[in-house]
Amino acid sequence: MLQGLSELGHAYLGFLNFTSIFYGLGGALIGIIVGCMPGLSATLCIALLTTLTIKLEANDAILILICSYVGTLYGGSRTAILLNIPGTAANAASCADGYALARRGEAGRAIGIATSGAFTGTLFGVLCLAAFTPTLAEVALSFGAYEFFWLALFGVTMSGSIVGNDPIKGWLMGLLGLFVAQIGQEGLYAHNRFTFGTSELAGGIALIPALVGAFGFAEVLTTLADPVEKKLVELRDSVLPRFREVAQYWRTVLRSGVIGVLTGLMPGVGEDSGAWMSYAAAKATTREKELFGKGSIDGLMAAETGDMASIPGHIIPCLALGIPGSAPSAVLMAAMIIHGIQPGPMMMIEHPQFVYDVVAMTSLATISILIFGLFLVKPLLLVLRIKRTVLMPIIFLLCTVGAFAGASRLFDIYCMLGIGIGAFFLRRRGYQMAPFVLGLVLGGLLDKSLRRGLVLSDGSLAPFFTRPISIGFATVTIFTILLYAPAFKALVRRITGAAGRGIGSLFGRASKIKKEI
Amino acid sequence: MDSVGWMALGATILIASTLMDRLEQQHINPYTIPGLLPGLLGIAMIVLGGLLALRSWRRGGVKRPPSNPTAQDRAQRRRLWMVIALCMTFDVALVGHGLPFWLAGWIFVTTSILLLQHATRKAAGQKLTARVLLKAGAIGLGAGLAITLVFQEIFLVHLP
Repeated sequence: MLQGLSELGHAYLGFLNFTSIFYGLGGALIGIIVGCMPGLSATLCIALLTTLTIKLEANDAILILICSYVGTLYGGSRTAILLNIPGTAANAASCADGYALARRGEAGRAIGIATSGAFTGTLFGVLCLAAFTPTLAEVALSFGAYEFFWLALFGVTMSGSIVGNDPIKGWLMGLLGLFVAQIGQEGLYAHNRFTFGTSELAGGIALIPALVGAFGFAEVLTTLADPVEKKLVELRDSVLPRFREVAQYWRTVLRSGVIGVLTGLMPGVGEDSGAWMSYAAAKATTREKELFGKGSIDGLMAAETGDMASIPGHIIPCLALGIPGSAPSAVLMAAMIIHGIQPGPMMMIEHPQFVYDVVAMTSLATISILIFGLFLVKPLLLVLRIKRTVLMPIIFLLCTVGAFAGASRLFDIYCMLGIGIGAFFLRRRGYQMAPFVLGLVLGGLLDKSLRRGLVLSDGSLAPFFTRPISIGFATVTIFTILLYAPAFKALVRRITGAAGRGIGSLFGRASKIKKEI
Repeated sequence: MDSVGWMALGATILIASTLMDRLEQQHINPYTIPGLLPGLLGIAMIVLGGLLALRSWRRGGVKRPPSNPTAQDRAQRRRLWMVIALCMTFDVALVGHGLPFWLAGWIFVTTSILLLQHATRKAAGQKLTARVLLKAGAIGLGAGLAITLVFQEIFLVHLP
């Protein structure tokens, strides 16, 4: 405990220098600018910055990436409030109330509430990150091949079930991601799988080009396919953060912080789930239900606190288990591996200081968004006036550089193109990219864990279902899949009755509100 | 339609996994054959594709008449294929074949802005002016040079 606190203090002191503060503020600023531009996601921002920072020291590079992650999600609220278009998917829940406030001439107030909600949400998440990551990593040290097999499968199943409205499509995308991860030399015998004799495919499909394609090029196509430019609401009132309203709505802030962190812990679920569930929970408990969707402070505060608290929540499993909580955290994990830091249970043994460094980095990111929320709101809004027809070709240029820079292979650019076009058409048909990304990240782990587990048990499947932690993961995974069968669902409802209705209705209400808005 | 694609992909993966080398001459443990997980993924894809087909059949998806695209849909589709063609031309034909990146970037950004703005202006009954042409050229040159400078010269990242 005391050693942990001393390492945390050491981490904070390590970032109190001009270079770190400059990198932190720079990363957050780039993130806010990217977040302000509709269609550009946190995943794309982190993927592009990963290539840009490839030659920097590990701590400096990860600091920039974490600050840009926090900045992008915070910046996305501006577009939601002023244009009624979420800057990133996570800000969609802020659109209804934020835009309603802006149309009433209270755009500045809405941005101030978003800033204070984002600040307190991230701060709450940082506390959970510092408290739970070392504990979770210690628990994960007892994991073997069987537990990791179920953990990987659990991640893809949960992601497929929760993201989007169609679990079958979600699981299919998860399977596609797992399959794509099998392309290339496999990990046990270096045997080439699905390479068709080409040396390029033997190296596999790299994560960064795949993510730049799925989240960058696909977004460029989506944005340019719809040429309508929306009009910006004028900003007349003060944009200063409203901490008095944080105190007034402290229950909402605390509840949304907890929901945000908990949804963040679920693999591959994404920040938008944190926002929607917090919004649904606030709507269920508030006394001013009629104001929701028409400019409710409670609603806007819940959405912004929930999505921002989920960022540190997503980083917790990424660091402790090596399982990313969202697509942006998957890129963050890839960046850590590129810089020689392997996330996962061994991290607390190999790089114990790094976990505390990440806590300090996220704290710096939180302070950065507050600074930009205080001083740079109006100048940053100029970004929103750039025409999409001008911006998107430049973004594509960056996508090309981002795909190429990691390994200097033209093949990666072609992968980015292929995956981007595929992702665009799949998204149009209602398929989500988050389960695909999680499958791509966890495919290698699933393959190795399954085969190692079978070797250890001499072909017996029993240890996969009898070891205590395996039973837990296996039960939840199989239960989640079976819930799609109507007969099983009816049976569960009959058995659980009112007890399970609470959590179930939260999920249900969140997706219902999402559909309505 | 989707379901058929998924089932076909699943079946292809399953067949390829079954035919994959089992490394018997290396005397590996038979439970660690390289095609094990891909084969299981293929089976899962066939099952889920089948469920998708069953659901679609129950909802009467097969009988649904095809929708007639509007003029707006057609314009959107034309625009989309134009963007795909522009991006493919840039990445496949311009990049990595000896042309400096800033020059390739300049040509791509300028051409894209002009073609996209031409489509928007044409719909509004306007034409491209000399000012728009110059502006697009300047933005393209600026973007090409700035990206090359920042990535290659400041952050020492290799460009195609």
